Amino acid sequence: MIILSNGKTTEAAQRTDDTETLWVRLGELPAATGWQMKPQGACLGDLCVPVPEHKREEWIADAEDWVWLNYSEFADLLGQKYVRDGDVWSLGSIPEVRRMGLESAVAPDFELTDRNGDVLKLSDFRGRKVVLFSWSSW
Amino acid sequence: MYESIGPDRFELISVAQDSGGPSAINKWYDKAKPTYHCVVDPTHEISSLFGWVNVPSAAWIDEDGQIVRSNEGVYPSEVSIGFGLGKVRAGDDSFAQATRDWIERGADSEHVWSSRELAERLKPVDDDKLLAEATFKLALHFEAVGDSERALKHFAAAEDLAPDNWNYMRQGWTHKGTVYASWKILKRTADLRKNTDKSFYDPTGLPGENYRRFTETEWLWTPALKRVKQLFRD
Repeated sequence: MIILSNGKTTEAAQRTDDTETLWVRLGELPAATGWQMKPQGACLGDLCVPVPEHKREEWIADAEDWVWLNYSEFADLLGQKYVRDGDVWSLGSIPEVRRMGLESAVAPDFELTDRNGDVLKLSDFRGRKVVLFSWSSW
Repeated sequence: MYESIGPDRFELISVAQDSGGPSAINKWYDKAKPTYHCVVDPTHEISSLFGWVNVPSAAWIDEDGQIVRSNEGVYPSEVSIGFGLGKVRAGDDSFAQATRDWIERGADSEHVWSSRELAERLKPVDDDKLLAEATFKLALHFEAVGDSERALKHFAAAEDLAPDNWNYMRQGWTHKGTVYASWKILKRTADLRKNTDKSFYDPTGLPGENYRRFTETEWLWTPALKRVKQLFRD
């Protein structure tokens, strides 16, 4: 299956016995979604969400030789919207990340490629004033 | 604006939001030969991250990486944009002047926002808008892999969910061709002008801005029509 998240397109393994739910292998979770399982829970940078004890069995499953996270359930808890068409899943922004960003007003970092193929990273410009603007050909 | 304020005093980063990627925008860059940073953003990440719903939008980011202002509809001066059968005038120099002031005076500039003002001024986001974002990205994916049917289906769904997000609509309409997109945008802005007090862009709140900018469409036949009317008056 294909997961679209944060502007990235990632191929990930799918649980063949339950294709209606977005199960993601723990090992593929960081690349596909940005989240990583740690002892304190699922973490996205400094933001960690503990897996509720009574949900552990529903959320984390041993199947087909791998350990999987039920990302559909996890996204529902986060209020993160997702939409699926065939084997393509698209994940929206996480409201909590947006809220934290607005409270701190820290500019979210990004990496984009210029026309020469060089990567530009916003945080490389710390110490300088930046005017960032969007435009389009349409 | 960049040249006149002084390239050594700040960084200007231009982000092209175009699902067509470099091939869609390179001819513009070839013509403009910009001296500032230019990157391509085929999946509209910038707008997702900064909460923008139209182009051009801009944010000021200070030396500590803090957003101190964010607006839509910012042009360096008045520009005339052609749309096939019509054209519209957009913008004024209020944003360039405010930017100059901020670059000179930093946090002392009266145009700087607090984080609370930023949160209040950005468009609110609800479940439908969050779902629209995921749906729009799904449409972009199918467009990129050449599945036009599914791309159009999801572009339409995103438009239904977030009818005030011009980025989603305009990118989606462009899938059917630039003529179609131009017609849609002129029709939609005309409807706005007729039925609401909204404008294509939210006001920036900057002194001297032309608030109802981008609402006065001048069609190809407008000058001829004016002449005929004049004749009858005379």
